[in-house]
Amino acid sequence: MTKKPKIGIFGLTSCAGDQLAILNCEDELLTIADAFDILDWEMAKTNNDKVTELDIAFVEGVVAQTRDLEALQAIRKRSKLLVAIGTCAVWGGVAAMKNQIPREILKKEVYGEEINVVDSVEALPVRSFVKTDILLPGCPIEKEQFLQIAASLLHGDLPELLNFSVCSECKMRENACLVVEKGEICCGALTVSGCNARCPSHNIPCGGCHGPIEEVHYDANYTMFAQRGITKEEIQTKMSNFAAPAWMGQKLLSEIK
Amino acid sequence: MDKDRKIVVPHLGRVEGHGGIDVEIEKGDISKVNMEIFEGSRFYEVLIIGKKYSEISSIVSRVCGICSAGHTLTSQMATENAFQIKITQRTEFLRGLLLHGEAIESHALHLGCLVLPDLLGYDGPLSMAKDYPKEVTIALNLKKLGNKIQELIGGRAIHPINAVVGGFGKCPSKTQLEQLKIELQKGLEMSDAIVDLFSKIKLPDFNFKEGIYSALLPKEERYSYLGDYIYTSDGITRPISEFRKVCHEKVVAHSTAKQSLYNNQPFMVGALARININHKYLTGKAKEALDKLFPILPSHNPLHINYAQAVELVHSIERSIQLIKFLFEIGFEHEEPVQFEVFASKGVGAIEVPRGTLYHYYEFNDKGEVVEADIITPTAQNLANVEKNMREAVKTLMQGPLNTLQSSLENIARAYDPCISCATHLVRIKFK
Repeated sequence: MTKKPKIGIFGLTSCAGDQLAILNCEDELLTIADAFDILDWEMAKTNNDKVTELDIAFVEGVVAQTRDLEALQAIRKRSKLLVAIGTCAVWGGVAAMKNQIPREILKKEVYGEEINVVDSVEALPVRSFVKTDILLPGCPIEKEQFLQIAASLLHGDLPELLNFSVCSECKMRENACLVVEKGEICCGALTVSGCNARCPSHNIPCGGCHGPIEEVHYDANYTMFAQRGITKEEIQTKMSNFAAPAWMGQKLLSEIK
Repeated sequence: MDKDRKIVVPHLGRVEGHGGIDVEIEKGDISKVNMEIFEGSRFYEVLIIGKKYSEISSIVSRVCGICSAGHTLTSQMATENAFQIKITQRTEFLRGLLLHGEAIESHALHLGCLVLPDLLGYDGPLSMAKDYPKEVTIALNLKKLGNKIQELIGGRAIHPINAVVGGFGKCPSKTQLEQLKIELQKGLEMSDAIVDLFSKIKLPDFNFKEGIYSALLPKEERYSYLGDYIYTSDGITRPISEFRKVCHEKVVAHSTAKQSLYNNQPFMVGALARININHKYLTGKAKEALDKLFPILPSHNPLHINYAQAVELVHSIERSIQLIKFLFEIGFEHEEPVQFEVFASKGVGAIEVPRGTLYHYYEFNDKGEVVEADIITPTAQNLANVEKNMREAVKTLMQGPLNTLQSSLENIARAYDPCISCATHLVRIKFK
């Protein structure tokens, strides 16, 4: 039998929801702890090993301060594989929603003029700074997807990730379309699957929390919404919630002018 | 005797988020006791400016993974308060269930996975499981039960998607609730085991002084996480709209989270504050757990937060069973979220989430877009009190061995179940 892979689970600036999603694998947690050698996981243990080289690092969160960047670079340096977990690590998440506002202004808004104690930089995903080997978006990640990745890595394989849309999952569940039937702004056609269309299956339009699929048809989607009387500002506001750097940086802004 | 000593816990493990402890003793005097917070800032109150009322709760839910249901519902209640929306009884029951699911998950996670390893001498639940498989399994099963409720009612265990302003997207079916009820009944037995376990563990007291604590008063004559009035232990009751009189926030240099003071003094919120104030409303097995764990009330020992959470764990399971019964009584016909008009307005929402009172405040323009927002989390309110308690403990333990002092300080900080992501969402305050 080969040696157990040495792993670390880390959080940069985040809500810790992705690490919690791992802790939420209640039925599998003890098996995971047995199959892997968990050397470093601050959220779940003390006495963490901060130096030994890791086979796999799972990293949640955004870089929102220089401290995060230093931590991330140290993790990358000691790890053979780096798995970005969660929409923050993959796309920037909610923290990256208003990167266009200078941090100095934000700090003044929050702390006032008199004290400037905060180390804050434009919030950007992990992959803006270091090489990532696997990207698992989700806000939070779906635990089944995490378990699949962990199982693949355990067997020395690289996992295969989904690249079809929430819209496809929604159709497979035979839900009534919220755009067609109700004229709602549903991000399902643009958003990568994995959640089994949770929101539309609850009559709630998709908010795009997993970030975009590859090669999104922005034009077609924009036209579809516009035909139902939805303005470009409304579309932009909705779509910028979870993966603003992806939508705004790439195409959306220019295409819907 | 004139010892210079320094304790630095660079990263407090087994808590949510990034924080540490920094203590300095010079010539036998305490010169510094800091609970340091160095989680990055996400500026939530600025992020939601300009967003439509329907978008807010799913954004602010992301303040915290562990209390995401609490943030979601507090946000929706603040919005409903602003637009004078009356929710239905079914929505009330479903929200109650969702909150109890969160309390069960959060308390089981804290007690079983974060605190028990401390008390039994392990670095975490996974290493503890080798010697205490039964206890860890019970904690994980209770945690799973809490998640099952959140998954069913909220549509997702973390960051619920089914709860919206005015109601729910989809209501659970009769069969689903029947199944859940059976699991809750099993959970009630498991929670007994947790109470039993904690009743056998004596928690130390480091000469903690009497302090101020605060919690919401229940609307009815029963233990509840919802209420329209804030009670502070100096005997004053205020409507939740006056929350800023209770949590007056200040910026401190060693923390990216602001600290809260009440009349210039630290105060406590959370399970122990709630038990101190509202224990007379507990019934059933939760009352039995209370009698077992709290011979004397009120308690000013922050380590008793752990006992208080164990009592609430039992209460939340019992109340969930009751809420399912009520849902059966009103039937299962489909119900759309309540329709309403938006207008320029402001509103406040408050809920007792696992770690204490959470406040959301919004101002809207006539299009229903946020123009001003304020979120005050329990951990931000507790931070000054954590430092106060650590200072008291340092005074008592100063002359003893350094590692005892360090682990005692870690135990105090951990007892508060600090949710550092929450505290560091950065509150935007404008006192007008």
